Amino acid sequence: MRVVIMGCGRVGSTLAARLEHEGNTLTVIDTDPYSFRRLPSDFQGETLVGSGYDDHVLEAAGVHEADAFFALTQGDNRNLLGAQIAKHIFGVKVVVVRVSDPFRGEIFANLGLRTFSPTNIGAQMAYDALIREQ
Amino acid sequence: MYIIVVGAGTVGYGLGLELQAMADHEVVLVDRDRSRSGELREELGEMVVHGDGTEVVFLESVGARRADMLIAVTGDDGTNLVSCQVAKHWFKVARTIARVNNPRNERLFRELGIDSTVSATGAIMAQIEVDLPEHTFIPLMKLHGSGLQLVDLHVIAGSEAEGAALRSLHLPENSIISLVVHEGGSPEVPNGDTVLRAGDEIIAVIPQEAEPEFRHLVAGATVSG
Repeated sequence: MRVVIMGCGRVGSTLAARLEHEGNTLTVIDTDPYSFRRLPSDFQGETLVGSGYDDHVLEAAGVHEADAFFALTQGDNRNLLGAQIAKHIFGVKVVVVRVSDPFRGEIFANLGLRTFSPTNIGAQMAYDALIREQ
Repeated sequence: MYIIVVGAGTVGYGLGLELQAMADHEVVLVDRDRSRSGELREELGEMVVHGDGTEVVFLESVGARRADMLIAVTGDDGTNLVSCQVAKHWFKVARTIARVNNPRNERLFRELGIDSTVSATGAIMAQIEVDLPEHTFIPLMKLHGSGLQLVDLHVIAGSEAEGAALRSLHLPENSIISLVVHEGGSPEVPNGDTVLRAGDEIIAVIPQEAEPEFRHLVAGATVSG
């Protein structure tokens, strides 16, 4: 699979490493070139400096040929703009978006994006840990 | 009408002032920058509220549920798009207007159901096209649903249309020249005998796909040889 990831923070870099390890072709976009240090030293994929919500950058990242697009920056609105450009302008089939605000996540899930909320996931895991300790 | 304006920069501030002066409207101006909203609150009073105009909980607190219109005018397209989408899909706000900072996002915003978009770059480009003699073709508006558009252009010396009576011009199918403004400013509803001269301004209705052909006819040099 060809996969484009927007945002090379901890989540983005971890996912990129894993998907490449499984044999996929990766392109990672981040506005800050320093963030690419988080990728493994043997990372073979492409890195691209720029905004993942700029259609020119997405085109340069080959998003029109991508099988999947992940928007994983810390900014909900940036992620939602990038994801909707990937889906509606470039026709990427699988578009996954990180949305911290659970309400916003729900709205956009209803609009056909695959959203996940680190807020909900984190709270759930903390809660589960408590239950197990009791 | 109850209107929420998201983003209190230069555009939002000006908009807030204008709307507040119109007696029939209740306006709230929101900005997520605490010092900016505090500063404006001193000047404009309670209409200014500090908060994130893309957040469901905050929008609920300023009464988005009863809002008739939400206008998002920040300098960030992601914020403007999401704010309008949240208003539309969660709060069922009837009308949403977004400022588009990157003119290439205009199409996406439209496709996603934002009712109106305003692009400063687009507006200035249209003005440049009015002012520059070499940019002689101005799309005025698309006629909704028909595939037709209203255009404004000038007859260029050396084009096929120059010196020709309308009946002798081979216009693209379904095209109508509706108005001719002669140089000097006299308008004329044209008929078959109307002769076009260089510098005349034409208002025409044409199918969108006929644009290159029509443009060539009126504003292009004739093919020689």
